[in-house]
Amino acid sequence: MITVTINGKLVRAKEGEMLLAVLRREKIDIPALCHHEAVEPYGACRLCMVEITKKEWDGWKNMVTSCLYPVADGLIIQTHTTDLIELRKTILDLYLARCPNTPEIQDLAAQYGVTQTSFEEVAEPNDCILCGLCTRICDRMGFGAISAINRGHGREIAPPLKNAPPDCVGCLACALNCPTNYIKYSDIGHTREIWGRKFELLRDVRTGQSTITREFAEYLSKHRNIPQDYFELNDESHRKETALSLGKIAIWSREESQ
Amino acid sequence: MKSRFIVTPILCTGCRTCELACSFTHAKDGKVGRSRIYPLDGGFKDLYVPVVCLQCEDPACVKSCLVDAIYFNENTGAYEINAEICVRCMACVAACPFGCSLFDTQQNLVIKCDLCCGDPVCAHFCPTKALTYKLIEV
Repeated sequence: MITVTINGKLVRAKEGEMLLAVLRREKIDIPALCHHEAVEPYGACRLCMVEITKKEWDGWKNMVTSCLYPVADGLIIQTHTTDLIELRKTILDLYLARCPNTPEIQDLAAQYGVTQTSFEEVAEPNDCILCGLCTRICDRMGFGAISAINRGHGREIAPPLKNAPPDCVGCLACALNCPTNYIKYSDIGHTREIWGRKFELLRDVRTGQSTITREFAEYLSKHRNIPQDYFELNDESHRKETALSLGKIAIWSREESQ
Repeated sequence: MKSRFIVTPILCTGCRTCELACSFTHAKDGKVGRSRIYPLDGGFKDLYVPVVCLQCEDPACVKSCLVDAIYFNENTGAYEINAEICVRCMACVAACPFGCSLFDTQQNLVIKCDLCCGDPVCAHFCPTKALTYKLIEV
């Protein structure tokens, strides 16, 4: 255990832990868009910047992304200084120039008092902030179906060659965890469409309700050794089935004991 | 010595008190949560079976989780979902053969029974002792 000072308060932390985890545990409100516990920290959104210093640094200070900075003993951290708020304002100002119509960005910017960007808005705005969370989650799950393409102002998130991605299974992890809800998908009837590819949703043989796609079920049974027939029913029918079989066992054991 | 959650279906009257207790225990931000326990019809007259996560050995939910969000809690003997790691891909919901991994649409979370951190509230509230949590010799 090591000790750090956060806004003048002494706090204990584990060795090797990232600063953002300690700040979140202390219930300090640090904005972060590209952070997710399932993947490695990346430092793309730059909103979790904090000011650090140490006693032996003779007044020198440094601004670091807290999601990427491991805690060290004797660190003195400031999270809401004038410089930091000014920095976050500038970043949100830039985000507003890129995504002027995104509610998540607008709300966050309004919290810091930015309602109108002072930069020129991009010609064709979209909701993507290029944080790469979708591609990192897709890689972490072992699919790697999407990635960032092109450089500079032409950078965007897309499947290979902008065609329907062959490695995608339609699990929706990218779309559901996107901080700005940029990735669009549709579940119409028993067809799911995402990244321009259509998937068939696996139907419960009794009720017709669906949970995951056929491709995802096939992936799970092939790579994770889950029997294919587990996917024939959805969770509600599975529960009913469990109640019936456990009921039979209960009656049988009562008759045995009498 | 280990504590185990014991379900005795013959004692269950289907009063659904456990469902209510579970919902209120897992309430969050002023909203009641989805219950993790379901007293369902057992297929015989006056027989109800409280269907709840059985905390299997080598469970399908853990095998299906591609981001290792479900882990075993040594202290309570329960498999728990870390909601911060979970990416809501629904793999465990589809894979559980007992249907005890659920999706809470209101809180937008995948949930399962975590034995209330080693003190299941449903067991306290069960009027007929169909649900008990006690130390047993293993």
